[in-house]
Amino acid sequence: MLQLQNDNLLLKKTLTELVATPQLVDRIISDFDYTTFHLSTPEDKSKLLVSITSKSFKDIKQYDAINKLNQTYAEFQTEIVEPGYDYSIYVDLLSVAAKSPEDIELTINEISLLKRNLLAIPFKLAFKSYQEQAIKYDQSGIEPEPSSEIYEINYRDEEAIYIKPSFDRVTVIFSTVFKDETDKIFGKVFLQEFVDARKRAVQNAPQVLYSHKEPPLEVRNLIKYQADDKKGYVTFVLFPRHLTVQKQDNTINHIQLFRNYFHYHIKCSKAYMHSRMRFRVNQYLKVLNRAKPENEEVARKTASGRRFNSA
Amino acid sequence: MDINTLALSVSSSIEAIIKTPACLLRSCFSTCKSSKAVFVSWSTKSDVKDPPGMANLPKVLVASLMISTSAEGIRNRSGTGLTKLGFAGNDSPSFIFPTAIATRSSTSSKAATTGFASASASSQSNFLASKRGTEDLDFFIGDEAIDAANTQAYSLSYPIKHGQIENWDHMERFWENSIFKYLRTEPEDHYFLLTEPPLNPPENRENTAEIMFESFNCAGLYIAVQAVLALAASWTSSKVQDRSLTGTVIDSGDGVTHVIPVAEGYVIGSAIKNIPIAGRDITLFIQSLLRDRGEADTSLRTAEKIKQEFCYVVPDIVKEFSKFDREPEKFAQYIVETTRGPNKVVDVGYERFLAPEIFFNPEIASSDFLTPLPTVVDQVIQATPIDVRKGLYRNIVLSGGSTMFKDFGRRLQRDIKTIVNDRISASEQLSHGTKSSGVQVEVISHRRQRNAVWFGGSLLAQTSEFKSYCYTKQDYEELGPGIVRNFSLFNIPK
Amino acid sequence: MSQSLRPYLATVRASLQAALCLQDFSSQLVERHNRPEIEAQKTVEAILNPMMISRNENERILIETSVNSIRLSLKIKQVDDIETILVSKFTRFLMSRAENFFILRRVPVQGYDISFLITNFNTEVLIKEKLVDFIIEFMEDVDKEISEMKLFINARARFIAEAYLTPFD
Repeated sequence: MLQLQNDNLLLKKTLTELVATPQLVDRIISDFDYTTFHLSTPEDKSKLLVSITSKSFKDIKQYDAINKLNQTYAEFQTEIVEPGYDYSIYVDLLSVAAKSPEDIELTINEISLLKRNLLAIPFKLAFKSYQEQAIKYDQSGIEPEPSSEIYEINYRDEEAIYIKPSFDRVTVIFSTVFKDETDKIFGKVFLQEFVDARKRAVQNAPQVLYSHKEPPLEVRNLIKYQADDKKGYVTFVLFPRHLTVQKQDNTINHIQLFRNYFHYHIKCSKAYMHSRMRFRVNQYLKVLNRAKPENEEVARKTASGRRFNSA
Repeated sequence: MDINTLALSVSSSIEAIIKTPACLLRSCFSTCKSSKAVFVSWSTKSDVKDPPGMANLPKVLVASLMISTSAEGIRNRSGTGLTKLGFAGNDSPSFIFPTAIATRSSTSSKAATTGFASASASSQSNFLASKRGTEDLDFFIGDEAIDAANTQAYSLSYPIKHGQIENWDHMERFWENSIFKYLRTEPEDHYFLLTEPPLNPPENRENTAEIMFESFNCAGLYIAVQAVLALAASWTSSKVQDRSLTGTVIDSGDGVTHVIPVAEGYVIGSAIKNIPIAGRDITLFIQSLLRDRGEADTSLRTAEKIKQEFCYVVPDIVKEFSKFDREPEKFAQYIVETTRGPNKVVDVGYERFLAPEIFFNPEIASSDFLTPLPTVVDQVIQATPIDVRKGLYRNIVLSGGSTMFKDFGRRLQRDIKTIVNDRISASEQLSHGTKSSGVQVEVISHRRQRNAVWFGGSLLAQTSEFKSYCYTKQDYEELGPGIVRNFSLFNIPK
Repeated sequence: MSQSLRPYLATVRASLQAALCLQDFSSQLVERHNRPEIEAQKTVEAILNPMMISRNENERILIETSVNSIRLSLKIKQVDDIETILVSKFTRFLMSRAENFFILRRVPVQGYDISFLITNFNTEVLIKEKLVDFIIEFMEDVDKEISEMKLFINARARFIAEAYLTPFD
C-alpha cells in the first residue's frame, strides 16, 4: 500500500453491511489523529446515528463547521449531538436502501468521508479567500497588503496545520514533532527528499520547504509559538495550478493526509530494515556455525580398500 | 602453556605487525584495561522532559485495539488461522480475515522479499533492487490477499503456522497493513492488546514487542493468553458470581479442540490436552451422512449451513431416535438456493443431534480418537495440582464456534458430573463410610462464545485500569524487550 | 575492499589468531568456579595486556586477552546521524539475539558498539580458524550493510517524496 485512502474503510464496510441488513449496533471506529466514530441505533435498527469526534474539531468549529457539514449531509441532518461527540448525522437505513445501487454507493462513500469533509472546511475557506484576492489583483493589478488571515488547526497534541491564503498562493504549514529518536533521523532524510523532489523530478508539484525550530517567516508573526528544538515546520506552497476549481478537491484530499502518509512510510521503512536485519542475522549465524566441527563419520576402510560391514 | 608464554606469544605477533611497513596502521597498546576512547553511546531515550505517553493520549474510549491471531492458527488444521481486529469496547471484532499475505512473486522482487539473496551475491544488484526498493510495499493481506493470489503476479503465504509465527517479515508487514489500512490508527496514539496461544515461547513475545515498539512506536502493549481472556468473557454470563480467573477453558474452533486449565490467571501448561475433533469434523460427518442418503446437494457449504442452523445436543440419543420416529415434524428441510435452476431441497434428519454427538461418542465418526470430551476434561483437571481442582470443576467455560450447539453445555456438565460422582462414591466406599462434601461441576455457556477470546479482551481493554497493565514505549526503551515476558494480571473488578 | 581495509583486517586476523590460545583455568578466588577471567577482572596474573587496533578515528577494535577468555570490542564506522542510528539499531538487533550467537556479548564494552567474548570452552568445541573467519567477515560485512541500509533510506525517501508530490499535478 503506497497511498493512504481518504475514506474510512471500516466505516464503509460497516455501513454497507448495515444498509443490506439493518441490525442493532453500538460500535466504535477510529481514524487517524484522534478521531473516533460512534455508530449506534438509539431508536430502532433502521435508524443509525453516526457521531464523530476529532481533536481538530475545536478549531474547525470556528469556521462554521456545523453548518457546512449540515450542507454536505443535508439528507441526514439532525438536531441531536451525541454527548461526548462533536457532530452527528442520523441515517435512515431504509431510505438509503431504497435508492438505486449506484446511489447507495455514493451515499455510503459520502458518509465514510466524514472526517475528510470535516478537515476540508478550513482548506476550502482558504482556497476561497485566495480566489477572491486573486480576482481583486487581476482587476486592480495592485498587490494587496499581506493580510493576517490564517487558519490554524491543532489536529494533534503538539502538531498543527496552518493555512495562509494570499493572492497568488496558499501556504500550508505542518508543524511536526517526533517522539522517537529513530523517527526523527529518518524523518529528516525523508523531508530533505521532499524538499529536493520538486527540483529534480516533479516540477509541477507544490514547493516544499522545511525549517527547523522556528516557523517560517510567513506565519511567524501570526501564530503563537515557542522556539522548540524538537519541532520542525514543513511548508507546502500551493500555486494557482493546484487551486483551480477542478483540482481543489484532489489537493485537499492529498495534503490532508501528509502527516499520516509521512509517518506511515517511516514505519514501513523501519519494518523493511527489520526484515533486512533478520536476513543478516541468519547470514552471520550461517558463518558462525561453520565453526562447529562436523561430526560426520568418515567411512572407514581397510588398507586394501574394503569397507567394514555393520552386520 | 603457562601465562607468561601466552603473553609473549601475543605481544610478539603484534610487534611483527607493527614492523610490517605495508600496514599504515596506528596500532596501539593501551596499558590500562579500560581504554580511554571517547565515549560515544547512542541512546534511544530522548532527553526531553516529555510527559509520559499516557498523558498525551486522547481521553477517547478507544484507547486500545486488539489483534487476536494465533489462536485459530492452532485450531485450524491447515494452519492458516484467522486474524480478528477491532477496538476495545465493541462487542465483536471489526475485521475477521485469514492471516494470509500475498507478496509479489515475480523473480526480480523475490530477492527483496525472501531476504535480499542478491545482497551477499553481489552488492551491485542489491543496490539496484533497493533503489527500486518498493517491493515491500506491494502486498495484500487477508481476503484481498486471497483474491490477489489468484492472479499470477502474487503468491500467497501464511505467516502463522501451527499457532506460531514462522515468518516475522511477513507478520510485521501484515500488522503494518492491519493498523494503517484496516484499523486506520496511528499506533503512537493507541494501546495494543495482542493475544497468544498458551505455551507461546517468551522469545516470540520479545520479537513481537520489538516490532510493535520499534517499528510502529505503539504507545503501549499488552500480550494476553487466549484462555485467560476466554475466562474473562464468561463473566457476562449470569451464572458467574465471583469473577475469578480460575477455570477450565474448552476452546473448540474449526480444526482442534483444546482443554486448558487456568489457575488464578496462569495456564497450567502441563495439563493441557488437545482433541482432534472440532468444527470441521462435524461438518464432514454431516456431509458423509447426506451422501449416504443420496441427498440432492451434498456440498460442504450445505453441510456447514445445516450444522449451524439445525444441530443441537440431546441427553440421550436412543430416546431421540424414537422421538424422531414418533414425531415426523422433527425432520427438517434445508433449501439450497441456487443461482441457476430450481432450488434444491435437502432433508435434514438424525444428523441434527448425531453430528454434535461426536464430541461425546467419538466412535461414531472417527476411528483413531475415541476418548469422549467429558472424559478428557476430567483427565485434564485430574492432572492439575490438587488444590485448584475444585475451582476448575466449578468453572468450565466454553469458547469458540463449535461449542455453540444448543444444550452443549448442559450435556457436558451432566457427563462430567457423572464421572466425578462415580469417582467420589468409589472412594467413599473404599474409605468405609467417610462422606465427601461433594464437588460442584458447572459448565458456563454464554452469548459471547463465538468470539469469546476477542470479547474477553475487549472487556478488559476498555477498563480504565487497562493502561496501567500495559508496558509503554518508555518502559521498553528503558528495560528492553525482556519486559514483555511477564505481564501483571488483570485485577478482578468486584 | 578499500586500500586501508585489507591491512586492517589482516592485522586483526593475525592478532586474533595469536590471542586465541586459551586454556582451562579455574578461578583462583572461589573454589570449583570457572569464570572468564577477562570478565571477572579479579585475578591480575590471569589478565594480559589489552591491545587496540585502529583503522582510523572512527573504526577500531579492542582485544582484551586473559588466560581463559578474550573479549573483543568493535567500534563501527559512523560518520553522521543516520549511520549512528543504523549502527545502534543493527547492533541492538544482533545483541538481542545473542542466545544464538554463542560468542556475542549482550552488552558492548563501554565506548564500543558490539563486543564478543570467546572463552576456552568455545575454542574447545569450535574450530578456532573459523571463529576468526567469522569475526573478520563480520567486520567486513557490517560496514557494507550499514552503507546499504543508508542507501536504501535515501532511495526510499526519494521515492516516497515523489510518490506524494506527483498526484498534486
